[in-house]
Amino acid sequence: MSFLAPLFLLGALAIAIPVIIHLTHREKKDVVPFPSLMFLRKIPYRSVRRQKLRHLFLFALRSLALLLIALAFARPFFESFSASAASSLGPREVVFLIDHSYSMGYEDRLSRAKAEVEGRIQSLGGEDLASVIVFSDRAEVLNQPTSDKEALEAAVAGIQLSARPTGFGPGLKLAKRILDDSELSRKEVVLVTDFQRLGFEGDDDDVWLPAGTVLTPADLSSPETENLSLTSVSLERDEASGRERLTASARVTRKAAADGAPLASRISLVIDGRALQTKPLELEPNTSATIGFDPVTVPAGEARGTIRLEQDALPSDNVYHFVLSPGQALSVLNFEEGARRIRRSFYVERALEIGDRPSFRTESKMLSQLRASDLSATDVVILNDVPSLGEAQAKLFSEFVEKGGGLVLVLGEGSSRNSFTEAVGPLLPAALGGVVDRARDWGGTLSYLDYGSPVFEVFNAPHSGDFSGAKFFRYRAFESPVSEGVLARYDDGVPALVERRLGSGRVLVWTSTLDTFWNDLARQPVFLPFMHQLVKHAASYAEASSWHTVGEVLDVDRYLAMVLERESEDDASGRSFDLVITSPSSRKIILPRTEARALLPLEEQGFYDIRRAGTGAGASSSSVAVNLDTAESDLSRLDPEELVASVTFRETGAPGSGGAVAGDSREAQEGRQGYWWFLLSGALLLLASETLLSNRLSMAGR
Amino acid sequence: MARRSDRVDSASESDRRFRFVDPHVLARISNLSLLARSVVEGFISGLHRSTYLGRSVDFAEHRAYMPGDDIRRIDWRLFARTDRFYVKEFEADTNTSFTLLLDVSRSMSFGSEGLTKLDYARFLAASLAFFSQKQRDRIGLVTFDEDIVEFVPPSAKHLEIVLHTIDRVTSQKPSDYRRPLLKVAEAIRRRGIVVLISDLYDEPEAILDAVKGLRYKGNDLIVFHVLDPAELKFPYAEAASYQDLETGEAVPIIPDYLRDEYRSLVQKHVEKLTRSLGDNQIDYSLLDTSMPLDYALFHYLASRERLTRTR
Repeated sequence: MSFLAPLFLLGALAIAIPVIIHLTHREKKDVVPFPSLMFLRKIPYRSVRRQKLRHLFLFALRSLALLLIALAFARPFFESFSASAASSLGPREVVFLIDHSYSMGYEDRLSRAKAEVEGRIQSLGGEDLASVIVFSDRAEVLNQPTSDKEALEAAVAGIQLSARPTGFGPGLKLAKRILDDSELSRKEVVLVTDFQRLGFEGDDDDVWLPAGTVLTPADLSSPETENLSLTSVSLERDEASGRERLTASARVTRKAAADGAPLASRISLVIDGRALQTKPLELEPNTSATIGFDPVTVPAGEARGTIRLEQDALPSDNVYHFVLSPGQALSVLNFEEGARRIRRSFYVERALEIGDRPSFRTESKMLSQLRASDLSATDVVILNDVPSLGEAQAKLFSEFVEKGGGLVLVLGEGSSRNSFTEAVGPLLPAALGGVVDRARDWGGTLSYLDYGSPVFEVFNAPHSGDFSGAKFFRYRAFESPVSEGVLARYDDGVPALVERRLGSGRVLVWTSTLDTFWNDLARQPVFLPFMHQLVKHAASYAEASSWHTVGEVLDVDRYLAMVLERESEDDASGRSFDLVITSPSSRKIILPRTEARALLPLEEQGFYDIRRAGTGAGASSSSVAVNLDTAESDLSRLDPEELVASVTFRETGAPGSGGAVAGDSREAQEGRQGYWWFLLSGALLLLASETLLSNRLSMAGR
Repeated sequence: MARRSDRVDSASESDRRFRFVDPHVLARISNLSLLARSVVEGFISGLHRSTYLGRSVDFAEHRAYMPGDDIRRIDWRLFARTDRFYVKEFEADTNTSFTLLLDVSRSMSFGSEGLTKLDYARFLAASLAFFSQKQRDRIGLVTFDEDIVEFVPPSAKHLEIVLHTIDRVTSQKPSDYRRPLLKVAEAIRRRGIVVLISDLYDEPEAILDAVKGLRYKGNDLIVFHVLDPAELKFPYAEAASYQDLETGEAVPIIPDYLRDEYRSLVQKHVEKLTRSLGDNQIDYSLLDTSMPLDYALFHYLASRERLTRTR
């Protein structure tokens, strides 16, 4: 017989209580304070005979009831031999789970992990089957279950560090799948890792190893870890004296297991392989500091940049790469006509002069000066209330939009002529109607804004811009109702801003003016961000990231379109050539032209080089900077028992010295047998009998 | 700001006073004085055979002489210095000295129903002090255990000091009556009323021997014997070790077997004290801490009345 809670058996000692009461009936051990024993001392001492045990049967009832209660709480059960015997016989199915996240690069952890596994491979029995899984936040089976020790050792020897962070979930799930498929009765998982806490706070909750699995942790962490890491980098770009400048700053964190002296190191800024600046730094344990570099002039073309710390025990998180791409400015061509040119474009030009992410290169022209070549290097065209538009010009703009350009049509007073209406007709969502005059009722307001649209989404948050203050005294209406693509409406329901997709580009129609002639929006604080958003949306602008993180998937074509200046009109619409990508470890990846969408998983730290197939090293190429997930730099340790308990808890008992043994669990056996219920019922019956009996005896005594 | 501070001070002062002197208690005693004027007057004024009839000795201030003032009250020394007439003003007439002897020995810290004997004794002492102050007596206080702990000499201005001293008494040492009370008898020069509040845990002969000195010096001595109900009835049921609070000695006792004899011994002790103290014209009163305080004072005044009639 076994007990699930044997400590409750100590409760049987309570039987001694009635014995003591019956036999001794001595004074309490408690001391009763009394002012003076002057009178009590005068009373002569009398010996008091000890109490005799008078009701033996009553005493027996009480003792038995207490004994049964203690037994019931101890949860007795008969352990079946078969379950425990089964787990100690027969061959084993062993899964070696080996962590190769980049934190295993700390000192010699990976080589120790390999040595640990190789030692265990040697101790495998002849009929044991084993498999090797490497895991970071992804897992991969290196070999199927085998008893071939050489194959296993070869698989272990070939394990390389990955650039990914730790995650126990995927590896444990793979191990579970292998163990589920196994027909062997003895199952074992050997988890070889540095037990980073970061890897546990993920999706491990739903991983439960099969019943009977022994999970053996091999802990490679060291108590005294010390790690200096670059956790983030900030790049600020501005223009000075006509040249673009870069001001970089880096956040450095020092994580240490114990307090100690400040650590001195050096940090360098490297652009295109040349170390431009080096700065000293000194950090206390578990603190961070931001180190700012002096501004440097950005090279004309694309440049590779790296911020690098001096090497420490974990060198991979001491570098941070980035790419400086040119062409961050949006080119805007603003057309207008007539003598009031200055008044009409004054506010638009002023609004677009300000801005650095992106900056706007605005050029204002008379429509009559338009040449076909003007549009080739232009992202957005603004037709700012031009009174007349020729058919040829309208065709040029239409083609420009279809190829991906952005056109902003401002329909003010000048655009009321029939010739203009006819010319721009194909670009408008509906035929243009008359002018709505709201001067008599003190002007209309914008009552509807589509905050889901990129133009207005930045104004969605509270206190992020108020359009209700702008008064619109006159605006243009459409002849027929417009329902699609309306981004803003006036308070009478007339569309204020309408979007229309045309080919690869888009047309945005603003039905009032962008000066102060028909409305006073230009005098409102929201005008500047509104203009920026309007132009960015018209140009389909998306900010190119200076770096990516390991694990992301890069849409290569989109990246090239964003980063590189379009080499030809054909390139913008689709790729007609193969791409060759060189990874940081010099691995070649070819993306054929036939592939509908070229996606590149970023798995390595460093720079990926992307170029056309067949071009030499001197041909133009593009770089992608890839950095590590800096969260992995925190080497805080997880208690292995915690992980073992969390993945073996339901089916197993308490983890043993080397892992957790599962079988037909003791709780399950005890639950099925349920002797405690009978014992407790018996005790209650006895206590009821004792109450009746003692009452009768006491009544008889009176 | 200063005014507010003053108000706060006076409020806390008032609270402190009412902690000891329950207004209800005073109200009951006032009613009693209406019903038994002779008892009250005797206790407060008439019964005090002051040796300084009609004249206070507590100087208050000088005042410029006004026509009609008794020239005997002119301060001639001041006249000699200033060449002006000033008369001396005194505090209101004081009848007698009223000295409280409060036993603060360890046995007084016993209380079976929350209120300890020491608490009860403090309330009683404070009430009496306040009561006497109303009669313009000089009030003094002696707290003692095996020796004198605090001594406040009698004065018409010492009510606050007496109340403050009573407020902070603690019981720490065992009791002895002879030594401290003989010292008190030596220290009190002026005859007056002396009230002893104690649980009187000593042989009646020894207690009488200790208080004799005070009585023989011409003081009127009043003894309040304060006991807890548990000391009178010994209601305990459990056999246990009973520890003497005075000596720390513990004795195993089965109360059922000793209760009757204990009660008999206490009764004899009280009777003997009543008799021996009464023989020496010392007023004795047994107070049970379960009784309301005003009831205890009422009981005392009634017995005081009897004493007056015998005189």
